[in-house]
Amino acid sequence: MRDFPPTVTSFWSPAGGAGAREVAPPPDTRGPVRFLRWTLRQQGPVVWVATLFGVLWQLPLIAGPWLFGWSIDNGIVPGDADAVALGAAGLFAVTLVGAVFGIALHTLVVRSWLISLYGTTMLVTRKAAQMGHVLPRRAPTGEILSVASSDSDEFGAMTEIIARAGSQLVSFLAVAGIVLATSPRLGVVVLIAAPVLFGVALPFLRPLHRRQQVERSRNSELTSLATDIVAGLRILRGIGGERTFRQNYERQSQSARAAGISAGVWQAVIEALGVLFSGVFLVLLLWLGAREVVAGRLSVGELVSFLGYGLYLIGPIRTFFEFAQKVTRALVSARKAVAIFEPEPPWRDPDRPIPLDAVGTLVDGTTGLVVRPGELTVVASAVPEDTARLADRLGRYLPADTEPVAEAGDEEEAGGDRRARRAERARRRAEIAARDAEKARGPWGVRLSGVDLGDASLAEVRRTVVVSDTSSQLFAGTLQDAVDPHRRLTREQAEEALLAANAEDVYDALPGGWQGVIDERGRGLSGGQRQRVVLARALGLDAPVLVLVEPTSAVDAHTEARIAERVTRVRSGRTTVVCTVSPLWLHHADRVVLLEGDHVVADGRHEDLLSDPAYRSVVARAMDDEEVAR
Amino acid sequence: MSATLEDSAATWSDHRADPPVIDPRLVPPTGASRSERLAAWRLRHHLRRDEADRVYAGARSPDRGWPVADDRAVLRFFRELIGRRRAMFATLVLLNALAAGTGLVVPRLLGELVDRTVDEAGAGIAGVAWLVVLVVCLQALFTFLGQVVSTRFGQDLLASSREFIVATILRLPVGRVEGASTGDLVTRVTRDVGTMSRSVQFGLPMAIISLLTVGLSVVAMLLNSVLLAVPSLLVISTSAVAVRNYLRTAPRGYITEGASYSRINTTLTETVEGARTVEALGLSDHRVRQGDDDIAVSAQAERYTMSLRNLLFAVIDVAFNTPRVVTLVVGAWGYANGWLSLGQITAAVLYVEALSGPLDRLVGELDRLQVGATSTARLLGIAEVPPDRAPGDALPDGRELVAQDLRFAYREGHDVLHGVDLRLRSGERLAVVGPSGSGKSTLGRLLSGINRPRTGSARVGGVDLVDLPLEVLRTEVALVTQEHHVFIGTVRDNIVLAREDSPDEAVWDALRAVGADDWVRRLPQGLDTRIGSGQQALTPAQAQEVALARLIIADPHTLVLDEATSLIDPRTARSVEGSMNALLEGRTVVAIAHRLHTAHDADRIAVVIDGRITELGSHHELVDREGGEYAALWRAWTS
Ligand SMILES: Nc1ncnc2c1ncn2[C@@H]1O[C@H](COP(=O)(O)OP(=O)(O)OP(=O)(O)O)[C@@H](O)[C@H]1O
Ligand SMILES: [Mg+2]
Repeated sequence: MRDFPPTVTSFWSPAGGAGAREVAPPPDTRGPVRFLRWTLRQQGPVVWVATLFGVLWQLPLIAGPWLFGWSIDNGIVPGDADAVALGAAGLFAVTLVGAVFGIALHTLVVRSWLISLYGTTMLVTRKAAQMGHVLPRRAPTGEILSVASSDSDEFGAMTEIIARAGSQLVSFLAVAGIVLATSPRLGVVVLIAAPVLFGVALPFLRPLHRRQQVERSRNSELTSLATDIVAGLRILRGIGGERTFRQNYERQSQSARAAGISAGVWQAVIEALGVLFSGVFLVLLLWLGAREVVAGRLSVGELVSFLGYGLYLIGPIRTFFEFAQKVTRALVSARKAVAIFEPEPPWRDPDRPIPLDAVGTLVDGTTGLVVRPGELTVVASAVPEDTARLADRLGRYLPADTEPVAEAGDEEEAGGDRRARRAERARRRAEIAARDAEKARGPWGVRLSGVDLGDASLAEVRRTVVVSDTSSQLFAGTLQDAVDPHRRLTREQAEEALLAANAEDVYDALPGGWQGVIDERGRGLSGGQRQRVVLARALGLDAPVLVLVEPTSAVDAHTEARIAERVTRVRSGRTTVVCTVSPLWLHHADRVVLLEGDHVVADGRHEDLLSDPAYRSVVARAMDDEEVAR
Repeated sequence: MSATLEDSAATWSDHRADPPVIDPRLVPPTGASRSERLAAWRLRHHLRRDEADRVYAGARSPDRGWPVADDRAVLRFFRELIGRRRAMFATLVLLNALAAGTGLVVPRLLGELVDRTVDEAGAGIAGVAWLVVLVVCLQALFTFLGQVVSTRFGQDLLASSREFIVATILRLPVGRVEGASTGDLVTRVTRDVGTMSRSVQFGLPMAIISLLTVGLSVVAMLLNSVLLAVPSLLVISTSAVAVRNYLRTAPRGYITEGASYSRINTTLTETVEGARTVEALGLSDHRVRQGDDDIAVSAQAERYTMSLRNLLFAVIDVAFNTPRVVTLVVGAWGYANGWLSLGQITAAVLYVEALSGPLDRLVGELDRLQVGATSTARLLGIAEVPPDRAPGDALPDGRELVAQDLRFAYREGHDVLHGVDLRLRSGERLAVVGPSGSGKSTLGRLLSGINRPRTGSARVGGVDLVDLPLEVLRTEVALVTQEHHVFIGTVRDNIVLAREDSPDEAVWDALRAVGADDWVRRLPQGLDTRIGSGQQALTPAQAQEVALARLIIADPHTLVLDEATSLIDPRTARSVEGSMNALLEGRTVVAIAHRLHTAHDADRIAVVIDGRITELGSHHELVDREGGEYAALWRAWTS
């Protein structure tokens, strides 16, 4: 039987290489219901076995009253000690069975819960691996993370309630059977009354449900507010604004509280109705039973066991209410999960990918940029966004030109509006995806040795052309892992990369050398140190074509000069593109390209280009004092 | 060259000696005999307990990250919260006691019904039945009222505690916030607030109700028949030991679980936020594996608490279900001797039956409270971070900022500043330049009162910056770092942080000064456009401009800009600095920068090398100095 943590291979399988891996079919994202069903299928037999165990766990409750009634009739009333002993032994036996299966049930329920919870988190990680930089175009980061951290829990809760409600349904039917066999008349009452009681309470569930939805949506706004506060805490603490944010939070918290209370009042109504109905049910049962006893159609013991059942049956009814609520919540979560899991990567590898020859000329059709093999080419532009766009193209990344469509935040609206908005969002999302797909599937417009990057497999493009842009991030871990995340460098190679990036001082500053710990995002390093470790990591990859965007924007001129010189040396003979306007790099460039908008307007050696006023105005650093606005 | 990487060989790991993520002993053996399997399970349980103890000890006083409070702090916290709502709490107890009490009359009456049926051939059944209906109606009424009060109480408690937590976070020592992990803090304000809220909102009232029901049931049982009640109660009370044991061991297990979820979240956040980096470097496999490792560790923590619960539930199940047997045996004996009526036996068994529900629930709620208490401990841990400053009441006399003999270490014994003296002239623009990692940003933080120097002082108008109340400090100095964050809200909200009452003209002036008025005007709703996570996104350069505008609105007399324009392209940056300076006439500006045009345009330049100011003077004084550091830097930069 499946156990936690589950094995998840949808979207991405970390075992094999890029092409050969076995990827399981993705979750069913054709709708929230289908998605929940898929989640359940991932459980294998766990939920159903748990249901069975649940029935056995309730054995003392199912068989207990009957045994007790039997003992009264056959033992206590006639004064038969043996029958009492037999009844007691039977009761004790079912108690033990119940205890044993209680453990088994709990184990399985935890198992199924965690299979769902961990499974969802693992799916999100794999989705991020599969989509790469396209994922943030499809959904806001916060939503992606909340599917893993909170919606996953709802799916766990759903598997639990399914097992519990299922087992209670079975026991309910078993009890009904026993009652029916003992006294058909009362049996019919039990069988009819319980569903009727449930049915009468149902209309009250609707207002409760609506209020709970409002409460949930306010709570999730509260959570995003708190997350935002934490994420921007450094700024808030630095410059002020705590009061505003505290007041905002308090206002939101109070409105969540009000929503919670109004949901709670309805909950109280339902609870009270439950008490009323089940009490009346019990009295009805007993009154009828007593008349049966008086009429001689029922024994006292049977009456007593009926009372036991009457009490017991309240439990399942409650559970069915809970079931209805939890499944609705799971549906809401499923909608969010579908929004994350549904998008597919826009890329489609050509049927017969053409292998890339890394030692060749790299040509960008849009700008007319030509990068000769084995050379250091520096791209200079007055507008950093222009070079960033070019670097994205060279590496076959989609440009940063679109915002993701957020999913949450409409639980408070009326049904019709909500549906309309949902459709509108789906349409916008599909539009972005279609635009991306169109861009990603046609010819890309960048050629390496004459082969369009779109005709090669994406994995090979990523291996051949490495782009280290300004958003490059450090991950928590040791310095060694930061420089050599793939764990395939020798110590000498890692040292070379570290030295080329002039990051020796990081090694010295961290206690423990290579095993020194770098915190998330490289916090604990100075700004320039962070940038240099990122550079060392990029160099360590030893890519055939390396594109560096502003690799030294956060270091001083001396360090920059050293880096430019060392990088030129270690990359000699391999194609390197650096986007910068710093003369310290320009000196080392085999060729410099001046970019204006999306056009190459000049190219040549730095020294030669200096006579071009347009070029000089972009790269020159001498200070003409009159320019200074004071 | 390699002299700098001296012990490189010693600290490099070829990963062969790396311990596996999960101790192999934690994997159940296959094909072992029953006794071996049991022994292996016990070993696993002990290993997991050791791990829980270790994590708990680490969490109480972490060397990095946020601490966890102890149980006493949690108790004190709730006692205080409840203490402030005494009247409501009393009403809650009273109403729920009434509900439970009326509920307990029902079995008695049912027993009565049985007796009448048996002894009096059904005389007066209808009367008793109507009585029961009446009692049931009362019970429903009390239940309703009790629940309403419970909800109010729970929601009040919840709102106060989460507001307290956020207020605490907003009070965290500035220095500490700068240095610690956000991932853990985010997990705490999301997952832990969620867990705490569930336990406060449902757990606490439920536990109270169950406790009342149990207590009153015991009384009712005794009233019904002492003979029947005492043996049953004795059997039930045997579970007390197991419950106590559980309550003692479980918190550590739950703390460990909480920590493991923090890790999972942190790793996943890194993976998702760094999706582009992961893809560019081909790190997907690596990230996926790391996520799986975190989950494997978390699964072990879950297995530990699961075993603890299983041990508890086994005892509870037996202890709560056996009284039925006891009632039967004692009942038979008492009935045979004529001490008990069938009605009493019926009532007793109904009580036992009715008792096991609330008792079960009580234990369940205790468990939920336990989990909630653990989360609360993690939340209150944040409040345990000692304040790094105790504001005095001395107010600065004058605006001059003077630093004397500043030394500072992030890690004990490793000073990054070695005695810096600096006197800022009022209204001057000072550029700070120097090698990467030399301590410029650190100096900036001390000059803006964020961290307390290890020795020496940074004073404004004769008062230590770190002894000023924050509100005062911010009117004196403010710092803009390279790190930027756009808050969820309108453009205006993002800019008027420090002074909410700023008129729109002031906001536009600030935007114009930082060269952002054009793009803000082009936004769909201008100043009212919502930006921040999940809304309209800004480019890094735009975010930096917003940060600068924020500072202009805050308007302190001294500003520290730590590479605050580094993401804006050089020419624009220079003109932004120019126009900002025009707007900030009379303000003192300390600008840390690698782009030396900032230095060139400044009044004075401080060169920081290895934690010391080695040169101080104007561009013209320094640029031609023979063998001067600045001169060399300038030559390198303009070459
Ligand atoms: N939060 C921190 N925890 C531990 N060490 C730190 C922390 N921040 C900085 N350091 C260390 O202190 C030293 C000085 O760092 P600082 O950030 O002041 O340098 P900097 O001059 O601003 O460099 P850069 O120009 O690269 O930004 C560095 O060796 C750095 O590793
Ligand atoms: Mg710095």
